[in-house]
Amino acid sequence: MVQLFLESDRVAELVAHLMKQKSVFAPHAKGRKSFAFEEVKDPSAAVLDYPRVMHSIRKFFFPPQETLMTFDLKENTCSVAETPAADAIFFGVHSYDLGAVHRLDYNFSEGNPEKNYIARRQGAVFVGVSYKPDEFHFSGSVGIDPYDTAGFDIFLTKLLDGYIVEALTPVGEGLLDGIELPAHEAGKPARGHFQQHIYLPQAKLGQVMDGSYQNEVWDDTAKKCVGCGTCNLVCPTCYCFTVEDEVNVQVTGGSRDRRWDGCMLRDFSAVAGGEVFRETLAERQRHRVFRKFKYISDETGQPWCVGCGRCTACCTAGISIVNIINRLVGDYEKVAVTPI
Amino acid sequence: MINFEMVSPDNAKDLYLPVMAEIIKVEQMTELETLYTVALPDGAELGHKPGQFVELSIFGVGEAPFSISSSPTMPGVFELGVRKVGMLTEVLSRMQPGQKVGIRGPFGNGIDLENFKGKDVLIVAGGIGLVPMRSMINYVIDNQQDFGKLHIVYGARTDSELLFEDELERWTADAGIDYRVTVDQGSSEWTGPTGVITTLIPGLELDLANTVCCICGPPVMYRFALMALKSKGLPERNIYMSLERRMKCGVGKCGHCQINSSYVCHDGPVYHYPEIKSLQEAL
Amino acid sequence: MADKPRVAIFDFTGCEGCELNQLNFEDQLLDILAHVDIVEWREAMDGHADEYDIAFVEGSLSTPDCIQRIHEVRRKAKVLVALGACAVQGGVNAVKNTHPIDEVREEVYGQDKYLFPTLPALPLSSVVKVDYNVRGCPMTQIEFLKVFTSLVMGKEPVEPEHSVCVECKLKENECVFERGMICLGPVIRAGCDAQCPSVGQYCTGCRGLVPEPNLEGMEEILVSHGLSVDEAWKRLELYNANEVEGVRS
Ligand SMILES: Cc1cc2nc3c(=O)[nH]c(=O)nc-3n(C[C@H](O)[C@H](O)[C@H](O)COP(=O)(O)OP(=O)(O)OC[C@H]3O[C@@H](n4cnc5c(N)ncnc54)[C@H](O)[C@@H]3O)c2cc1C
Ligand code: SF4
Ligand code: SF4
Ligand code: SF4
Ligand code: SF4
Ligand code: FES
Repeated sequence: MVQLFLESDRVAELVAHLMKQKSVFAPHAKGRKSFAFEEVKDPSAAVLDYPRVMHSIRKFFFPPQETLMTFDLKENTCSVAETPAADAIFFGVHSYDLGAVHRLDYNFSEGNPEKNYIARRQGAVFVGVSYKPDEFHFSGSVGIDPYDTAGFDIFLTKLLDGYIVEALTPVGEGLLDGIELPAHEAGKPARGHFQQHIYLPQAKLGQVMDGSYQNEVWDDTAKKCVGCGTCNLVCPTCYCFTVEDEVNVQVTGGSRDRRWDGCMLRDFSAVAGGEVFRETLAERQRHRVFRKFKYISDETGQPWCVGCGRCTACCTAGISIVNIINRLVGDYEKVAVTPI
Repeated sequence: MINFEMVSPDNAKDLYLPVMAEIIKVEQMTELETLYTVALPDGAELGHKPGQFVELSIFGVGEAPFSISSSPTMPGVFELGVRKVGMLTEVLSRMQPGQKVGIRGPFGNGIDLENFKGKDVLIVAGGIGLVPMRSMINYVIDNQQDFGKLHIVYGARTDSELLFEDELERWTADAGIDYRVTVDQGSSEWTGPTGVITTLIPGLELDLANTVCCICGPPVMYRFALMALKSKGLPERNIYMSLERRMKCGVGKCGHCQINSSYVCHDGPVYHYPEIKSLQEAL
Repeated sequence: MADKPRVAIFDFTGCEGCELNQLNFEDQLLDILAHVDIVEWREAMDGHADEYDIAFVEGSLSTPDCIQRIHEVRRKAKVLVALGACAVQGGVNAVKNTHPIDEVREEVYGQDKYLFPTLPALPLSSVVKVDYNVRGCPMTQIEFLKVFTSLVMGKEPVEPEHSVCVECKLKENECVFERGMICLGPVIRAGCDAQCPSVGQYCTGCRGLVPEPNLEGMEEILVSHGLSVDEAWKRLELYNANEVEGVRS
């Protein structure tokens, strides 16, 4: 693989070069200390050195709110809404967020392949960037390295004074055509260390989860959890949604829209007649964690958590999914080493 | 990485767009329940199996899942039996023949007919649970040669809530059908047995090894019905149950209907009991 | 829709922020009027109607006279909709419930306190059956129109049951806890599209608590962020005094 070198102060130049070819989306500073993926208007506003963006790039393929169809109440007819292909370069994506996109690709392809997601997903080009794990990341424990280039068209590895640039696909090579970058000879630096770990190899997590249904950790976290749903909404592999009809003031038509939903919310499992199938916060927390570490994982052999740390970083109650898993691991090992 | 191939857009479907179907007939069954006969455009057949459901939409109001109550043996149209409980069902209850509703489906696995063929069939239906079970009942009646004896056990809260009265009379009259009914609380006119549905089970005369059962009813009913059937001696592998959960999409995407790892809209709503026994959220 | 629904609008004790005529309806007014007949509206018309399909009621109940009037409205209305935090939760007026009523009267009316019998500021639902709520202080045009179009279409309006955080996260707002603010969003019912956090403000809870709120959890959140629990409950009480009585005990 040819490795090129991009000096830090030429990043904007690379962004501008890419913008000539397709629209480019990249992290931008937002609020006091947050970052959000937005379309680049000013190449120098794109940020490469950031801990995590609030919403992963899933928001471009599976938008927070999306019209599924529009309807005409007079004619009683409906027509399907447009779902244009992304057809853009996503610049500065962390490896766990691309891992999450691959998981969503699976969810929206399996069973009944869904046009909305799959159509929007077309033409997406990914330029990755390495990152230095902060106090929340634990991707290493779910098998996603900060330098993991899998699925990227171009990958940028951070050095002190710039980035190693690798084109990994013909598309990536094509995008770099026309920008002069010197070769990089020295090899890659050591990867950053994770501060957060799951204390068990990923391959064994399945066994841990099998014995964790009745664990006390669910009740314990439920005492602190306020059921706000934030942990679902920020998770790059959450794909649940709800659907609602909106009607215009003239009452002549409207749209059927979907928006992100979450299994931590009480009304998620409520049905007419007042039955709530996951009534307690403990049951809901367990469902969330099992969805990340067991249910789909049993089917695919992969954790459905990519270790981005968002749910923990954003939980005002400070509930940490790593701590939950580690408590399960601890209890599993206690049981496992105690002869019966 | 996960081992799979992303589907190309040409092979992906508009999962959420309904077809417009016409309400042909509206029959008020009880104060709350109405039976709708619905026809797809151009005489198309729905092509369902007993136990499957459709998503019905009224634009501007929303969409909800309803079991198909008619047997696939009924050509040209299908029937939905709907209880008025909330927003959509309230608006639906005011609709008249000639009006159109959106239909998506049929969805769900439906009853595994192969495992019922050649066997005696026992249907245990509580309240509105008779609506989906009726599809199977009429299917068995219309294909008598493929099945053994038909037992129907039906319970409602009161006699005024009994559904499909004409059919109940026919089942009662039909010597080939072992039909039993009870109400929790009978009116002064009620002459049949009173008591919860499980009180009917001990009295059944079943060929245990050769009887396959399907249960459908309100959430509280399943556990008690199971207990009664098990103490009767019906093997677990002969028990199926149709479950209900909140649904938003019907096609295995929105996540609402999940019971542990299982999607009711896709893997259910009809479950083989041995398969869901281990799902703690199921019953 | 065969006949246009007959609509009446009333206001009781409120800050007037919620009054319909404050909602800047110019653009929608004609559309609204196309769907309903307004048969009674205190500010805009004289005369009284004998019955109406929908009564929209603003403000809370704080005098015996109010109570009499709301009973009358209920008798005449098929559907009664409470508009704004005052009508739904007792609203800002309800703060006085937490002080001995005599003190409040003295503060408000001074020497003349015995001439003005006032009650605790009650939400409509404490006196009559309320069919639907439009929450918020002030309520927003969007939420009002949603309930309005639902009723015009003959469908039941539904209220969100989830927290303000959901809407806040949908909009990808930076959480105001990051700035050391007390935000009640995690336990407050959504519907406003998280309008306060979206402009960098904290949620003061004007839409009322979510069903089954975990207030102990909320208290722990505040403590762990080094924020004042007392201050938070004070704010919560500002709009939810009737609901959270006893939280601070
Ligand atoms: C597989 C299946 C088959 C069903 N078959 C029948 C049937 O044959 N006859 C019948 O009367 N009812 C049936 N139901 C229940 C029916 O779907 C609900 O009564 C209906 O959704 C209520 O909608 P609503 O808008 O009137 O009520 P609301 O309470 O206003 O519901 C609001 C929303 O909540 C959701 N919801 C509420 N209750 C349910 C529920 N029980 N299941 C799923 N989603 C719900 C819907 O998405 C609905 O849009 C079935 C449900 C399922 C899952
Ligand atoms: S973000 Fe935290 S408090 Fe909110 S639902 Fe998730 S775990 Fe509970
Ligand atoms: S569960 Fe938490 S850490 Fe895992 S992917 Fe989702 S948000 Fe990230
Ligand atoms: S700002 Fe308030 S409403 Fe928004 S996420 Fe934070 S706590 Fe929730
Ligand atoms: S954010 Fe809170 S205080 Fe602000 S309008 Fe919404 S509910 Fe009311
Ligand atoms: S109803 Fe949406 S996944 Fe089953």
